[in-house]
Amino acid sequence: MAHPTRIEPSILHKLAKHLPENGSARWTNVRQKSMQQLNSTQFPHKKIEEWRFTDLRPISRTEFTHINDAGTYKASDIEKYFIPESDRSRLVFINGRYNETYSSIGGLGKGVTVGNLSRFPDDENVLEYLNNLVNYDDVFTLFNGLMFEDGAYIHLKEGAKAEAPIQVLNLYTGSEKPFIANPRMLVVAEEDSDVTIIEDHIGLEENSYMTIPVSEVKVKQRAHIHHVRIQRDNENAFHISRPIAYVEKNSEYHSYTITLGAKLTRNEPRVVQEDEEVDFTLDGLVLIDGEQVADTHSVMDHRFSHANSHQLHKVVVNGKAHSIFNGKIFVRRDAQKIDSFQENRNLLLSYDGLVNAKPQLEIFADDVLCSHGATVGQLDPEEVFYLQSRGMTEEKAKEVLTYAFALETIENVKVDSVHKLLIDEVYRYTKANSNPKVTA
Amino acid sequence: MLEIKNLHVEVEGEGTEILKGVNLTINKGEIHAIMGPNGSGKSTLAKIVAGHPEYEVTKGDIIYNGESILELDPDERSHAGLFLAFQYPVEVPGVTNNTLLRESYNTIAASRGREELDPLEFDDYIREKLELVDMKADFLERSVNTGFSGGEKKRNEIFQMAVLEPALALLDETDSGLDIDALRIVADGINKLHHEENSVVLITHYQRLLNYIIPDHVHVMIGGKVVKSGGKELALELEEKGYDWLESLATVNGEAK
Ligand SMILES: Nc1ncnc2c1ncn2[C@@H]1O[C@H](COP(=O)(O)OP(=O)(O)OP(=O)(O)O)[C@@H](O)[C@H]1O
Ligand SMILES: [Mg+2]
Repeated sequence: MAHPTRIEPSILHKLAKHLPENGSARWTNVRQKSMQQLNSTQFPHKKIEEWRFTDLRPISRTEFTHINDAGTYKASDIEKYFIPESDRSRLVFINGRYNETYSSIGGLGKGVTVGNLSRFPDDENVLEYLNNLVNYDDVFTLFNGLMFEDGAYIHLKEGAKAEAPIQVLNLYTGSEKPFIANPRMLVVAEEDSDVTIIEDHIGLEENSYMTIPVSEVKVKQRAHIHHVRIQRDNENAFHISRPIAYVEKNSEYHSYTITLGAKLTRNEPRVVQEDEEVDFTLDGLVLIDGEQVADTHSVMDHRFSHANSHQLHKVVVNGKAHSIFNGKIFVRRDAQKIDSFQENRNLLLSYDGLVNAKPQLEIFADDVLCSHGATVGQLDPEEVFYLQSRGMTEEKAKEVLTYAFALETIENVKVDSVHKLLIDEVYRYTKANSNPKVTA
Repeated sequence: MLEIKNLHVEVEGEGTEILKGVNLTINKGEIHAIMGPNGSGKSTLAKIVAGHPEYEVTKGDIIYNGESILELDPDERSHAGLFLAFQYPVEVPGVTNNTLLRESYNTIAASRGREELDPLEFDDYIREKLELVDMKADFLERSVNTGFSGGEKKRNEIFQMAVLEPALALLDETDSGLDIDALRIVADGINKLHHEENSVVLITHYQRLLNYIIPDHVHVMIGGKVVKSGGKELALELEEKGYDWLESLATVNGEAK
C-alpha cells in the first residue's frame, strides 16, 4: 500500500507507515479509501470556521509514536472499573486493542452478538456498515479509518433484548512516549431490539496519548438504544470522538455524554434521521477545570417528519478551562412536525474560565417547534445567600448548587451503578471546585 | 437578645444609604412587629441582620447576645440562632427541601452542641414539623421553592423555621400572599413555635396578622429609620390613619433627621 504523502502534521504521516494488516479485504479497502482521502485533507486550524475556538497545536506539536514503540505499561488493578450489571457483558480494550482476559461475554441472552470486530471480519453487517455510516471527513476520523486494528461489535437480531447493559471499557495505559489509540465501535440493532451500552474511556496514568474513538450505530425500525458515554481520560490526553447514529422509523436513540477528563476534547456526536416517527436524545455534561479544553460540535439532522429530539448540554467551567459548544440542528424541507429542544447551559465558577456557545439552527420546513437557547452564568449570589442563611458555609452552598446544576443531565442514566458512579464523579468535581480558583 | 444601634447601611459599593440610623432592641421572649411604607428599609434591615453581602454597615452596630455579629458570615449567624424568612424566598432547583433541611439541621445542631439526627430520626422529626404548618410530605422531595406558588413558598419558610428552631426569627412579610386559611395556619404555627426563650420579629403591612399573633411592640419604619414605636394598638392606629401623619418624624426641612 502506498504511503500517504500529504498528511499533516508529519507525525501522522510517519505513523501511517505502520499500517495494520489484519481484517478482511473489506478492511484493506477501508484503509485504502481513508488514505486516499487523507492525502487530500488538511489538518484543521483556527482559520477553519469549525475549528475557530479550538487550538490543535498541542496535538500537532506532540511527538506521537506508534503504539508498538511507545513503551506502554501493563494495565493493572482495573477491575474497579467493571460495572456489576455487566458482569457477563463486558468488552475491554486497552489502547484500542481487544483484551480477552478482562472481557466477559455471554450473559446477554438470545440474538445478541457481542465481541471484537476482528473476530467478525466478514460478518454481513460488518461488510455492510463498517465505515459506511461515518460521514465525517476530517483528518482524525480518516486516521482512525487507516489505523484501527479492532473495535467493539454489537449486533442484536430482530426482537432481541439484551438482558444486561453492555460495558465497552476503553482503557489507556501509561507509556514512555505519547501514542495514538484508534478505538472503533459498530452497533447494529435490528427491528424491535433493545440494548443499553455503557462506553467508558479511562486514562490509567498521567501520560500523554490521543484517542480517536469512532463509533457507528444503526438503530433499525422500532429498536431502542440507550447509550452512555463517559470520558475519563487523564489530564494530558487528547480525546477526539466521532459517534454517529442513524435512526429508522419508530426507533429511539438516547445518548448521554459525560466529559470529565482530557486536556483537549473534541466530541462530535451526530444523529441522522432516516425515517419518520423517531425520538432521540443527545445530552451532555461537561465538568472541566485547570487548563482543560472541551469542545462539542454536534449535529441533529432531521430529514423526515415527526421527530422528537432533545439536547441538554450542561457545562461547568473552573480555573482557566474553556468550553466550546456548537449545536447544529438541521430540519430539511420535507421534515414537518418536528419537536426539537436544545439548551446549552454554562456555569462559570472562575474569572478565567471561558465559554463559547453557538446554537446553529438551519430550518427549511415550516411546521416545526424548535426551542433553543444558550446561557452563561455564575452561581446566583441570592441562592448562595439563601443556603448560607440556612446554615451552610459558603463553600458548601456553592458545592450544593454546582452539584444540583450538574445532576440534571445524568438523571436519565438508567443503569444504577453507572448513575451512582456519575453522581460520585459530579460530587468529586464539585467538592474539588467549590472554592473558586482564582488564577493569576 | 438583639440590639441594633444607630445602624447605617449602604448598598455595597454604591454609596446610597438605605438605613439611616436604626435603633431597635429585642428582648428574649418578645414578639415585635415592624411596619412601614414600601421602600422604607424593612427588608434591608432584616437582610443585614442575616448577613446579606449586598449591604454594608457604615456606622453603628448589631449586638446579638452581647456580641457584635457584623463580622460573622450568614451561616455563622444562622448557627448562632438567627433565622430570616425571606420576603421573596429563593428557588433552588435541584436541591430538595429534604436535603437542604437535613444539611441545615445537622450543621446547626453540631454548632449548637445538639445531637445530629440520622436520616431515619430526621424523617420522624421533620414529619412532625410538616403537620405544624399543614404541609404535604411531597414538598420534601421537591426542589426548594421551585415552582411553588407564592403562598407555598411562604409556608415553606415557616416550615424551615419550625425545623431549625431559631432563637430569633425575622419573618419578612410572611403573611403576604397567603390565603385566609393559610394565614391562620401559618400564624398558629408561629404561635406554637414561640416561647419565652425565643423572639420573633414580624415585618408586615397588615394589621390582620397581628390579630393572630399579638406583638409586644410595634415599630414604624419610614425613610430608613424607626420613627415610632408603641404597643399593639399602634398597628390599629396605622390601619386607620396610614403613614402620612408620621412622615414629618422622618424628615426635618426635607433632610433626613
Ligand atoms: N441592592 C440594592 N440596590 C439599590 N437599592 C436598593 C437595594 N436594596 C434595597 N434598595 C432600596 O432600598 C430601599 C429599601 O428597600 P427595602 O426592600 O428594604 O424596603 P421595604 O421596606 O422592605 O419595602 P417593601 O415594603 O416594599 O418590601 C428601597 O428604595 C430599595 O429600592
Ligand atoms: Mg420588604
